[in-house]
Amino acid sequence: MADSIFRKLRDGGEEGELAPALTIEETVASPFALDVSGYLLANLSSSILAGKSKSQGLVLITFSRSPSFYLQFLKQKGIVVSSSAKWIRILDCYTDPLGWIDQPSTEGSSLVKLHKCVSDLKRLFSSIIEAGRELVGDGKTRFYVAIDSVNELLRHSSMPLVSGLLTDLRSHAQVSSLFWSLNTDLHQEKVTNALEYISTMKANLEPLCPSSDEKRNALENLFLVHQDFGKGRFHVRFKLRKGRVRVMSEEYHVDQMGINFSPIASAETVIATTKSLLPKVQFNLQLSEKERVEKEKVVLPFEHQDHGKSTEIYDGRRSPADGKMEATPLSSGELETDMVSSGKGGEIIYFRDSDDEHPDSDEDPDDDLDI
Amino acid sequence: MAATNVRSSSFSRNISVVSSPQIPGLKCGPNGTTFISTGIRDLDRILGGGYPLGSLVMVMEDPEAPHHMDLLRTFMSQGLVNSQPLLYASPSKDPRGFLGTLPHPASSKEDKPTAPDPDQGESLRIAWQYRKYMENQKNSIDDYSNDFDMRKPLERQFLSGRPIDCVSLLDSSDLSVAQDHCATFLSKFPRNSSSIASVGRIAIQSFCSPLCEYSDKESDMLSFIRLLKSMLMVSNAVAIVTFPPSMLSPSSSKRLQHMADTLLSIKAIPDGDKELEKLLTGYKDINGFLNVHKVARINTQVPVILDAKTFSMSLKKRRFLALECLNQAPVDGSSGTSYGTSGSCSGSSKSGALDF
Repeated sequence: MADSIFRKLRDGGEEGELAPALTIEETVASPFALDVSGYLLANLSSSILAGKSKSQGLVLITFSRSPSFYLQFLKQKGIVVSSSAKWIRILDCYTDPLGWIDQPSTEGSSLVKLHKCVSDLKRLFSSIIEAGRELVGDGKTRFYVAIDSVNELLRHSSMPLVSGLLTDLRSHAQVSSLFWSLNTDLHQEKVTNALEYISTMKANLEPLCPSSDEKRNALENLFLVHQDFGKGRFHVRFKLRKGRVRVMSEEYHVDQMGINFSPIASAETVIATTKSLLPKVQFNLQLSEKERVEKEKVVLPFEHQDHGKSTEIYDGRRSPADGKMEATPLSSGELETDMVSSGKGGEIIYFRDSDDEHPDSDEDPDDDLDI
Repeated sequence: MAATNVRSSSFSRNISVVSSPQIPGLKCGPNGTTFISTGIRDLDRILGGGYPLGSLVMVMEDPEAPHHMDLLRTFMSQGLVNSQPLLYASPSKDPRGFLGTLPHPASSKEDKPTAPDPDQGESLRIAWQYRKYMENQKNSIDDYSNDFDMRKPLERQFLSGRPIDCVSLLDSSDLSVAQDHCATFLSKFPRNSSSIASVGRIAIQSFCSPLCEYSDKESDMLSFIRLLKSMLMVSNAVAIVTFPPSMLSPSSSKRLQHMADTLLSIKAIPDGDKELEKLLTGYKDINGFLNVHKVARINTQVPVILDAKTFSMSLKKRRFLALECLNQAPVDGSSGTSYGTSGSCSGSSKSGALDF
């Protein structure tokens, strides 16, 4: 749930432990990770300003959008960031990540710092820490770190270096929590797994109808995808201290103003629970339709079938006397022989114990036990 | 009932235990193998005695659960308690720090978790014919294996003065440093036909961690493990290597698994899962699952067929690590997976089948 992620990030980690870290995963079909980061950013910012959080600062490193976009976004959410704000710093890795533009560094408020040379991760790390220290000082106060997307980082540096950077950030005493987003379709599975390995929370966005069925008409596909584009499921996995994993889901909906989360429609959860109430066994406890019809038709080997006539059951012995009886058609007997001859359907094969047995004697066979 | 041989449990396979060799901490096993304790009594029992000398144990980690650390901790502590030299490698800047988290053996004065209460009273008359079996279950002070109290750190006396070598896997960009350390360590325990002088333990944690610079060089990692295995075969030592299989390509992961003599894996347990709560007793205490995929068989071609492959790891009285067989529910044959781990986490690629 987005709310619980926000609270976990806001509260940060304990002293002496690594900071909680969140990976937000998106796919090409549901590319809304930046909306989710925006949501978390807005919430963290408002909690810092309202004084509700223990950490006093936020360092935002932008790779995929310009800093002005974020300033605009925060303004839309009602958080006005003046250029002399003391609680936020933005490291701009979007404008010129590889240092191609020879720009005189005259402009640049203290708020936004241009960072060139993204491939040198050690320098990036020290700039982040420096920016954080500018906000909260050198003491025990902590700050949040938000990286808007690591896709670009992975483009310029190898996986071990990037995970090294993120783990160093997590182990720094003054970082209280951090989060980043990633598009899983752009990277190998190993990379996604590695980032999940070093994070304590993983959130992923799943589109509403996974249109993986290629046999469908392409146009039809497009229409469905377009219709449900802004909606889907938001799944979160938390790694708990004991070694358990908490899994939560909700639905998300993206519109002009941003992303909204709502609990999953209850109808589906009901179906899920009833399905799970049946015990999982190796045989199928339910009868299919055909099986039920066959079951109705089977004649049970009781002499009194409760329909007014006495029934003759084939009992495995043919005697000349019985020969003609077999020929007489009996309602259920005929059906039974039909079935026997056709070899289909259910039947019960009953062999009588002895000839002396009178049909349906009322003797209880247990009577001669002497207890 | 005629007087029967006194056994530890009337339902376990009676492995003929020859009198223990000269050094404490070793136990003779079948087929001329010698075992050292894993550190967890339940695991010793499951594996048929412990880890045989000269074997390579691999543990597949679950990135979501830290239980492989408990296996490593008990392994290392057992070695230190039995005065066996230790080599520890991990992808952290200060591997020595981990030694501070090793558990101390539980003292005999405390309640042992499995000791039954003999003064049940007169109501259980029928059970008393098994009294002679029950008495043998009381854990005697044993120099082979100990129960470890996971909350109590290992005392100084075991750490100081013991030969403990710590290597950080982050130090170099390839595995040559680690390889050299292993080679020098193992050269101290050559195996020859005379009696065993001393045994060593190697513990390598998170071998393919994404933090290591060599983590994308899969062939190098495979060669390292191959070399380690060949060195182990001619020495009196046991190595335990934990690795997260999702960090490797499937073929490399399979190769590593194949190289192991004993293969274990850890699986995290979802929290608050109503289905699992109904199916498992003691769900609240279980911290994770341990699967035993392969058990080392040395000098024999007869495989071990275990009664159960999945065990639950829990902490008894919050201190003692216990592995218990699960109360199994049959697998739904049609779907192919037991516990679909509830529909809500469909986005995860890690919801694999729990093997029973």
